[in-house]
Amino acid sequence: MNLPRAIAMRVGRGLLLMLFAATGTILLVRFAPGFFADSREMDARYAQAARAEMEVESGRQQSVVQIARQEAKGWLAGDFGQSRQYGVPVAELIGARARVSALLLAQGILRGWLLAVCAALPISALRRGGLLWSLPFTLLLAIPASAMATACILADAGSPALVLSLLIAAREFKFLRSLLEEAWRAPHLLQGRAGGLAPLALVRMHMAPNIAPQLRALATLSIVTALGALVPIEVIFTVPGVGQLAWSAVMNRDLPVLVAVSLLMALVVALAGMLSTHDRTLEAA
Amino acid sequence: MKRHTAAVLLLLLVLASGLVLRVSRHGYAFQDRDAIMAPATTEHWTGTDELGRDRTVRAAAALLIGLTGAAAAAAITTAIAACLGLLAAFSPAWASVLLLFLSDGFLSLPWLFLLMMARSLLPLTASPLETAVTTFLVLAALGWPACARAIYRGARSLRSSEWMLQGRACGLKTGQLIRLHIVPHLRPLLLPQFLVCVPAFLVAEANLGALGLGVGEPMPSWGAMLLELDNSALLARSDWVYLPIALLALVLLILESFAEGEAHA
Repeated sequence: MNLPRAIAMRVGRGLLLMLFAATGTILLVRFAPGFFADSREMDARYAQAARAEMEVESGRQQSVVQIARQEAKGWLAGDFGQSRQYGVPVAELIGARARVSALLLAQGILRGWLLAVCAALPISALRRGGLLWSLPFTLLLAIPASAMATACILADAGSPALVLSLLIAAREFKFLRSLLEEAWRAPHLLQGRAGGLAPLALVRMHMAPNIAPQLRALATLSIVTALGALVPIEVIFTVPGVGQLAWSAVMNRDLPVLVAVSLLMALVVALAGMLSTHDRTLEAA
Repeated sequence: MKRHTAAVLLLLLVLASGLVLRVSRHGYAFQDRDAIMAPATTEHWTGTDELGRDRTVRAAAALLIGLTGAAAAAAITTAIAACLGLLAAFSPAWASVLLLFLSDGFLSLPWLFLLMMARSLLPLTASPLETAVTTFLVLAALGWPACARAIYRGARSLRSSEWMLQGRACGLKTGQLIRLHIVPHLRPLLLPQFLVCVPAFLVAEANLGALGLGVGEPMPSWGAMLLELDNSALLARSDWVYLPIALLALVLLILESFAEGEAHA
């Protein structure tokens, strides 16, 4: 397969993924019971004319195609539509929050990986006692993100980034340990060890280049894990990020915000997937 | 922790929970109005919550409900994954590409976000039992992609094996080949997939419950019991408030060890 075609296929796949996410969100929300319920109908302050206008507005959202067209219009206009809950352009809502979430994600993933690599490297090289040393990570794996976040608040210690990094570290440590254990057993590494190469030189020269593709794939999975954990962490710590916005949009059935957040998440995942397989594509080409 | 130790511990926990529910005079929804936020007493071994409900009974019921729901959801998701994985492995190239793309799409989207969306869009007037069933059904409906990929890979490698070629040459139809040869060979793959799903679903339910989107009250669930930790008045009165989180961590630890042991076996 030539390089331009390989890249085009990756991009096409990413676009299809985003289309899938958008269609899925619209269908889920449109066919949810109570989609047409509007809290403003209960508000006595709205005049008859305003109510009639609301009815017309709600009538426009009967068909999935019409909803999709409205969403597409909002995207083309650059404001991603109007939030049903806050009455402001979705782009305005997401813009400020995306920075907060991106920073939290970056901190959590980087610290989590650092912790996982620092622990997995020496533990995977141990001949005995590896299971005992892995116990803290196994325990961390057994605590849901929401419980970890609540425990941090109760103890008045830790931060959202700490919870996210511990969660990522626990997940990645498990994979990294088995990956490194296998790598340590490779014949060329055994020979290098027998030849007296220092452990750091072995890791740098022989191990790291061999496991780099798997590490990149794992890094993509870290992003997906972190995005999933973002919601409970931001809600419990009341961090004004995209996760909290998504939760609030879900609770209030705010379709434009939901579609925008779904697409944003799909875009991040698709980009990460493209980057993680980019080198392999280049090698194959 | 060895596989057998994990299995025995899990069994003991389930039996103990069953015993607690059996010997308890009141159900998990009973409210003792004279013992609101009570500390541990002879009547309420681990105290009561803010509505006067016995914490031991609720934790025992949450354990049984959580395990039953997660196991049922894991069984459903494994069955869906097996069907779709086999379908992708034995269908024409375009159909398998489509099915795999669908599973990739599901895989690449954040799980909890999808769950949260699907669960929250259900009727607000649903009964506690309906919310419990719906929560675990949603988990089952969204948890199949990773498992389907593994089954697809397994089935593809079996499809090109020599004994399959021989079976085909002998005139066996695709359905017969799958039933007689593929499914028995995939069993060692299906069991670990099922065991991996159970703790994952328990964690997902706990996270959903903590966001107020899990099993509905008064039915006890891990997520709903974790919400107790938000009550500072309750925390100041008794350390038993931490019982659900400790119990959940123990159950998850046991299940993870069991699944890992089974995968290595």
